[in-house]
Amino acid sequence: MIGQSSPFSEALKHAVLILGALIVILPFYVMVSYSLKSPREIETNTGGFFGAQEQMVDEYCVKLGNAREDCLATPVIHNYTQAFKKAPLLRYLLNGVIVTASIFLIQVLVALPCAYALSKLKFWGREIVFGMVLFCLLIPVHAIALPLYIMLAKAGLTNSYAALVVPWTISVFGIFLMRQFFKTVPDDLIDAARMDGMNEFSIVWKVMLPTAIPALMAFAIFSVVAHWNDYFWPRVVITGNRDLYTPPLGLREFKGDGDGSYWGPMMATATIIVTPLIVAFLMAQKRFIEGITLTGMK
Amino acid sequence: MAVDVAIAAGTERQAPTRRKLFTAESLAGYVFVAPAIVLMLVILVAPVLIAAALSFTDYSLGNPDFEWVGTENYEKMFSRSTYKKMLTASAIYVLVVVPVSIGLGLGAALLINSLKRFGDIYKTIYFLPVMAALLAMAIVWEFSLHPTIGIVNKVLASGCGGVLEEISEWYAAGCARNFPLWFGDRDYAIWTVCFIGIWQGFGFNMVLYLAGLTSVPRELYHAAAMDGADRAWDRFRLVTWPMLGPTTVFVVTITTIRSFQVFDTVEAITQGGPSKTTYVMMYAIYEKAIQHNLIGIGAAITIVFLAFVLLLTFAQRWLVERRVHYS
Repeated sequence: MIGQSSPFSEALKHAVLILGALIVILPFYVMVSYSLKSPREIETNTGGFFGAQEQMVDEYCVKLGNAREDCLATPVIHNYTQAFKKAPLLRYLLNGVIVTASIFLIQVLVALPCAYALSKLKFWGREIVFGMVLFCLLIPVHAIALPLYIMLAKAGLTNSYAALVVPWTISVFGIFLMRQFFKTVPDDLIDAARMDGMNEFSIVWKVMLPTAIPALMAFAIFSVVAHWNDYFWPRVVITGNRDLYTPPLGLREFKGDGDGSYWGPMMATATIIVTPLIVAFLMAQKRFIEGITLTGMK
Repeated sequence: MAVDVAIAAGTERQAPTRRKLFTAESLAGYVFVAPAIVLMLVILVAPVLIAAALSFTDYSLGNPDFEWVGTENYEKMFSRSTYKKMLTASAIYVLVVVPVSIGLGLGAALLINSLKRFGDIYKTIYFLPVMAALLAMAIVWEFSLHPTIGIVNKVLASGCGGVLEEISEWYAAGCARNFPLWFGDRDYAIWTVCFIGIWQGFGFNMVLYLAGLTSVPRELYHAAAMDGADRAWDRFRLVTWPMLGPTTVFVVTITTIRSFQVFDTVEAITQGGPSKTTYVMMYAIYEKAIQHNLIGIGAAITIVFLAFVLLLTFAQRWLVERRVHYS
């Protein structure tokens, strides 16, 4: 901005921002640090960030009737192996990937042709369909969870992958975003493709899809972040069947039976769930922020 | 007269389009929009209608029959103390989280934007909570705010005996007895839940404001300086804030709609308690309708919820059309 900022005001700004940053980072610090520590270090808040990593006795292992010396473990290894052993965390992560990927693929499969038709094809009723898209933008899917749940229950689909995926297959927001993007694609490109003898179907997937990659990336970020982190909907439709748990559900289950001594493995689980998106974000933050801005600004 | 012309023009235009109904192009159009239309109707429109219908019944899942109960569910919502508490908790959450997370988002954006360097580092850090699963972070916060082993109360306690005790009565009281239980204390629980909401969401608003700031033309600042507005506050009041109008309208709407939907923190930590002080709408729908199978009341809450969202969105459209920026 204009105006000369003195070194003093510059330092003051940094002081304020650093204070904010400390508060923002605090839980991440706690999470990672405690995933490395033994229960005793957690309770007494000792051991610094990494913990002393002294051998600890796994009380649960002792309870199972093993000799104490066979139950020695290094805290960090203990916490992370417990995270995978105590609950099928790998299964949960796989479910998370399956659900998130299916949602995104189906969303694109439905939204892309629709957006192309709404922006480039002339047909009677096009404006009505677009009006419908605009109307549906007003409905937050989480808010209508209850009737969706009843419909799925009536169809006997609760506790299935379908229940996790189906309500998210239509992204009116995706349609809207893609339509705005396709509007900027010159008609000549499509005419040329038609001259080459391409039919409308191959135009969508061979001409429009490649040009839409930047918009699709933005939408992918939006969709993946939302559904990997979503807790509400899986909580509603998955009741009891642990094989279908998504990562947040798996973590919640951990908390449910945690009696305090499982804080270490629980923090390890939290770290494992949160890490993929954070790492992806740190590696490509410009893209992420652009994507979130683009999709956020609708 | 004018109307006649319009109608004539309308029918004239109708004719060729009718003929076009079955060209290859229009056929492709129908095929391409068909799946989207079906899904919109089944997944978005039908549920709203179903919720509206169910909100006038005492339906519960598994029962073959149900009765129409008129507006009873709605009357309950606006008379019974449980639902009054629900509306209060949601209102507090929205009225706290929206302004504070927007204020902090704007503040952070302005500060970062005016820095000579290192701005990107803060941007990255402040955006981290937006990417992290709220459920996981809520659990970590719960742990950090644990009354006995949590890091927050430990840090607070370590300041006891110092100046802070003399400055703040609250701090002194905390040292004398105990620092708050946070989630377990009904005077603190909703505010603590709000705090997590703000912590999680303000980075998103910051990014939107940073995007908005890049579109403010620099000449406007020069012009303002010419007119004698050279204090930072004047520049903000006369140029930056009006130019950020559209961004603000959007940020307010989206943050409000999101705040109405808060669920993860409440479900994982407080379960609506203590004494229903954190009993927000989304959790109420979940608890009443899905756990207790009281579909009717859940549907009524859903409809009230949607009414709020509609109202907000129309208010946003209206504001945008009035052109909030004074250009």
